[in-house]
Amino acid sequence: MAEGKPDERTNPASTKSNPSDAPDAELERHHMIPVWFFVGMLLLVYGILIFIEGIREWSHPPHTVLANLHPPVWWGILLVIMGLVFTLKHFPKKNR
Amino acid sequence: MSFGAQLLGGHPAIVLAAGLTSKIISLRPVDLAIITLYFISVLGIGFYLKKYAGTGEDFFVAGRKMTAWVAGLAFISANLGSLELLGWAGNAYQYGILAAHWYWVGAIPAMLFLAIVMIPFYYICRTHSVPGYLELRYGHATSGLSAITFAVMTILMSGVNMYAMAVVMQVILGWNIHFSIWVSSLTVGIYVALGGLYSAIFNEVIQFFLIWLGALLIPILGMIETHGWAGMVARIQHNFPGQNYTHMWGPMVHAADNPMGVQWVAIVFGLGAVLSMGYWTTDFLVVQRVIAAKDIRAAKTAPIIGAFFKMAVPLIVILPGLLGRAVLPFHLYPENLAKPGQHTYDQVLPLMLARYCGPGLLGLGITALIAGFMSGMAGNISAFATVWTYDLYRPFIKKDATDRHYVAMGRWCTMIGLLVSIAAAYIVTHFGSLMDYVQALFGFFIAPLFGTVILGMLWKRATKQAGFWGLLAGISSSVAIFTLMHNSPTRVAWFTFYAKAQPLAQDMWQALWSFVVVVVVTVAVSLATEPRPVGELRGLVMGLTEVPSEGHLPWVRRPVFWAGVCFAVFLVLQWIFR
Repeated sequence: MAEGKPDERTNPASTKSNPSDAPDAELERHHMIPVWFFVGMLLLVYGILIFIEGIREWSHPPHTVLANLHPPVWWGILLVIMGLVFTLKHFPKKNR
Repeated sequence: MSFGAQLLGGHPAIVLAAGLTSKIISLRPVDLAIITLYFISVLGIGFYLKKYAGTGEDFFVAGRKMTAWVAGLAFISANLGSLELLGWAGNAYQYGILAAHWYWVGAIPAMLFLAIVMIPFYYICRTHSVPGYLELRYGHATSGLSAITFAVMTILMSGVNMYAMAVVMQVILGWNIHFSIWVSSLTVGIYVALGGLYSAIFNEVIQFFLIWLGALLIPILGMIETHGWAGMVARIQHNFPGQNYTHMWGPMVHAADNPMGVQWVAIVFGLGAVLSMGYWTTDFLVVQRVIAAKDIRAAKTAPIIGAFFKMAVPLIVILPGLLGRAVLPFHLYPENLAKPGQHTYDQVLPLMLARYCGPGLLGLGITALIAGFMSGMAGNISAFATVWTYDLYRPFIKKDATDRHYVAMGRWCTMIGLLVSIAAAYIVTHFGSLMDYVQALFGFFIAPLFGTVILGMLWKRATKQAGFWGLLAGISSSVAIFTLMHNSPTRVAWFTFYAKAQPLAQDMWQALWSFVVVVVVTVAVSLATEPRPVGELRGLVMGLTEVPSEGHLPWVRRPVFWAGVCFAVFLVLQWIFR
C-alpha cells in the first residue's frame, strides 16, 4: 500500500476485529449514559452537601472573609440547580 | 502535560515547598466527604465504561463518537491542570496581567488555526495520532522519531507532575507524599485501563465543571470585597505604588519596561506564532480529544468551544493572582527569597481559597485541584498508550496482530506507563534538580514538531527525507540553544537580544529559532531530494485534499463563523487590557 494513503498500519478502525465483539459493542454504545448525567449527579450531591453545610454554619459562620454573605448556601443552591438540570435532561432512558 | 506548566520558570511544587513550614488549609469532614466522593465517582465511571472500550477504535479514540461539546471541554480540560492553575496564578501575582498573554495570544489564535486549517487534515486521513499523521506524510523515520520522543517525554512529565502535585498536597493539606502519589496515580491507572479514552474524556468533562465551580467563587468574592475592577486596581496601586500590574501591551515596547524582560516581538511571534501553535496543534495530548469527535464539523467546532473557555480562564487564574496583590495583608516572595513562615508567589491561589472558602467550598476547591491533576495524568497516560501501541509497537514490533491484542497492549501499557511515571516521581524526589531538565526536554520538541507538521500540511514539495532531517535539526538546535543559555547567562542576549530576559522569554526565543531551523532545513533538503508523487499526498496536503462539505448549514452553525466571533472577542480583550 502506498505510504501516503491512510492504511491499516495507522488506522485503528481498520485493524482486525473479533467479529463477535462488534455488534455488542455497537449496541451498547448506543445506550451509553451521557457524560452530562454523571456531571449532573455529582453537582447535585455536591450542591446538597455544601448547602447543608452552609445552613449548619448559618449562625456561626467560619472565619473567612465575606462569610456574612453565606457563600456556601448560595453556591450550594447553584450547584443543585445545575445538577438537577443536567440530571433530568440527560436521565438514562429505560427502554433499549 | 499542560502548556503553562511546561513554561513555568519555577516548579510550583518546589516553590510551594520553599517558604512554608505548616499547611495552609485544614479540611473538615464535609470536605473529605466531597473529595472521597470524587474518587468513588471516577472509579465508578471507569468500571461502567469498560464494556464500551472493547475495540481499538473505542479504547484509543473513544469510538470517534464524541460531540463537539464533549470533545471541546475535554480538549480544554486536558490543558487545565492543577499545576497550571497554581503556577499561573503565581505568575499573575508576580508579573500582573502580563501572565494573561499565555491564555490569549498564547492560545486563542493557535486553537482557531487548529480548528479551521489543520483539523481537516487530521480528520480526513483518519489518523489516530500526530505521529500517525507524520507516518502518512513523511514515513516511518519521522513518525518513529516523533513517537519515541513523545512517549518518553510524556511518561517522564507525568512522573514529574505526580511528584510535584504530591508536594503541593503535602504543603497545602499536610498529606503524606507517598499517599498522594499512590492513591491518585492508581486511581487514574485503573480508570484509564478500564475505559481507555472514553474514561479519560468523561472525567475531563467532569473536571472541567469542578475546576470552574471550585475556583469561580474566588474572583466573585474578590470583586465584591474590592468593589469591582477599579477598586482592585486602586488597591494594587496603593499597596505597590509606581508599578504597573494591569496593562498587557503598554510595557511590551521595550524588554526593560516589564518584569518578564520580554518585548512584543517575542510575545507575538515566539509565543503566539510558534510556541502556542506547536502546543495546541501538534501536542497529541490535546489533539487526541479532537480526533475523537464524531464528524468533521464537530472536530472543527470542538477547539472553537475550547477557545471560548480558554479566553475565560484568566477569570479563575489571573484575576485571583491580581486580587492577591490587592487584598492579602502580607507580601508574597519568590521561592529563592522566601524565609520560613513567609509565603511564595505560587501559594496565592490556595491562600485566596482559604481566604474566602469555608468548609464545603474548601472541599470543592481542593477537589478541583485533585481533579485537575488526575485529569492531566489521565491525558498523559491515554496519549502514551495510543502512541506506544499504534506508532511504536505495531509498526516496529508486532505488525499483524488482532485488534483485541492491541487493546490488551493498550491496557497493559497504561499500567506499565503509570508505574514508570511513579518511578520517575521517586527519582525526582531524590534528584530534584532533574525536574527542570525534564521540563525543558518536553519543550524541545514542541516548536520543531509544529514546523514539520505545518510544512507537511501546507507544502506538497516537502519530502520524506526533509521531514526527518528538518525535525532532527530543529530538536538539536532547540537543545543547543537551551544548553548555551542555561550554562552561561551571558549568552542569553545572543538569542533574546536582551541580557536580562527571564526564563519565560528565553523559552519563546528558543522556540522561534528552532522553528526557523526546521523551516530552513526542511526547505533546503526538500529542494535537493525527489518529491513524492502527488497521488500519495491526497488527503494529507492542502491543495490536494478535498475537505468534505459541512452541508447546507445556516451561517450561525458554521465553525468558521464562531471562529470569527471568538477572534473578535479576543481582539476586544487585547484592546480593553492594552
